[in-house]
Amino acid sequence: MNLNLSEHIVRTVVVAPTERIDAFSAPGLRTALDQQLTNGAKRFVLDLSNVPFLDSAGMAVLVSLMKRARERGGDVRLVWPTEEAARRIIKLTKFDRVFSMSDTAEAALADF
Amino acid sequence: MRIAIVTPYPPSAGSLNEYAFHFIRFLRQKPEVKEIFVLTDELPGDQAYPADTDWQPGTATLRIVPCWRFGALDNALRIARTARSLAPDIVLFNIQFASFGRSKPSAALGLLAPMMVRAAGLATIVLLHNIMETVDLKSAGFGGNPLVEGVIRAFGTVSTRILLRADLLAVTIPRYVEILEKKYGVSNVLLAPHGAFDEAPPPTFDAPPGPLQIMTFGKFGTYKKIEPLVAAFRLLQKVRQDLELVIAGTDSPNAPGYLEGVRQANADLQGLRFTGYVAEEDVPRIFQDASVVVFPYTSTTGSSGVLHQAGNYGRAVVLPQLGDLAELIAEEGYTGEFFTPDDPQSLADAMTRLLDDPERRRAMGTQNYLAACGLPMAEVVEWYLIHAANILAIRAARGQTSGRLPTFGHR
Repeated sequence: MNLNLSEHIVRTVVVAPTERIDAFSAPGLRTALDQQLTNGAKRFVLDLSNVPFLDSAGMAVLVSLMKRARERGGDVRLVWPTEEAARRIIKLTKFDRVFSMSDTAEAALADF
Repeated sequence: MRIAIVTPYPPSAGSLNEYAFHFIRFLRQKPEVKEIFVLTDELPGDQAYPADTDWQPGTATLRIVPCWRFGALDNALRIARTARSLAPDIVLFNIQFASFGRSKPSAALGLLAPMMVRAAGLATIVLLHNIMETVDLKSAGFGGNPLVEGVIRAFGTVSTRILLRADLLAVTIPRYVEILEKKYGVSNVLLAPHGAFDEAPPPTFDAPPGPLQIMTFGKFGTYKKIEPLVAAFRLLQKVRQDLELVIAGTDSPNAPGYLEGVRQANADLQGLRFTGYVAEEDVPRIFQDASVVVFPYTSTTGSSGVLHQAGNYGRAVVLPQLGDLAELIAEEGYTGEFFTPDDPQSLADAMTRLLDDPERRRAMGTQNYLAACGLPMAEVVEWYLIHAANILAIRAARGQTSGRLPTFGHR
């Protein structure tokens, strides 16, 4: 039997910040994510489980990434932070209804 | 997407007109937005809204539709009729509790508009800049005696329940979300921060030549009272002469004649200057000339556009110790000197700490600039579009059509 085999590898970038994401650190995260987009990545898992604090400026970085990833045919999955100070802004902005949320990075990867 | 926005809009002097101007400026640049209808208030006399001269290829068209009048009793009906005839994909309300009138009946009846628009089958998002639960009614000029205050609070509760019939209700302060969710048991309230109006270039932090300017900016007379600031300025003048106090802005629509009264009462005071209405093109200079921006608030009614502007231009700020502003500072990364509301000596001390320390002013201005850069309004507008698209997708899945009153909630 003749079989034509091909393998499709879809790259997913897992980003796991471990520090506060606020108005002062958000530009650095944005730059790093922009670099990944420039390099062709379009599927992302943002593992926020070890982020101690997230504010609206940090949320804006995640939303911006989601929009641009979706424009490229990709998407973003978020892993819930364990710290309430970081979970709070996601819940207040209701972006937990826009992003697909997971409890672990493995679950987020499996969600793609 | 075709969007209708119910809001005061310049040259209307209605509260939140400037917020609307900037919001729409960014909204029309979003590629998914094809057409914007501004359902705004009718101008007095023979005045008319200017033609849209800012349209550029690739941006949304803008149509100004004056269809309500500040103080009228039939605003909700007229807005609902107009919205239905235009049939936009979504209707956004940029309002606060006194947006539709100074009198209680006109203000309360106008707040029926979002519910009526939604009952007509249109998706609605309300951006509510203040919530009754945190407003100090006496300071805001709507109190008088406990009975009246109780009646107003009851009206506020009923009005809030009505506003919560919108698909989504957005507020600008994190605590507001939690207060509304807890009190009203709803899940369709979200935080949509104010955002900075301009993506300004890095500012200069040095004071311009001449006297050091203390500046306050806004619409005055209700919860923004300048008497304590003027009194504090008199205290400062006893020890230094190189100061100027600039009152930039106009009366609140709810307090006509207020600034003129203060001006006449302080006609003897050297260094006190009233600018009157500040045109959009003059806003940068007003902030750049200021060494210190003061917020003489006795109560807050939501996030402060002036704080975000002060951040844009890298200014040091002096703020009252009020819960909402303190939370905003902590949440969005701003910093300032604080004073006790209605205490001229406390305000004078706070201003002195900055006026005497150029390095402190520079450091504070730098931090406020970085905070303002953290969340520009262009990104906040994006949040609204994402939530709007979500609402429309949910409605489409439910098969909701015009004329049906949809079920409650965002999801």
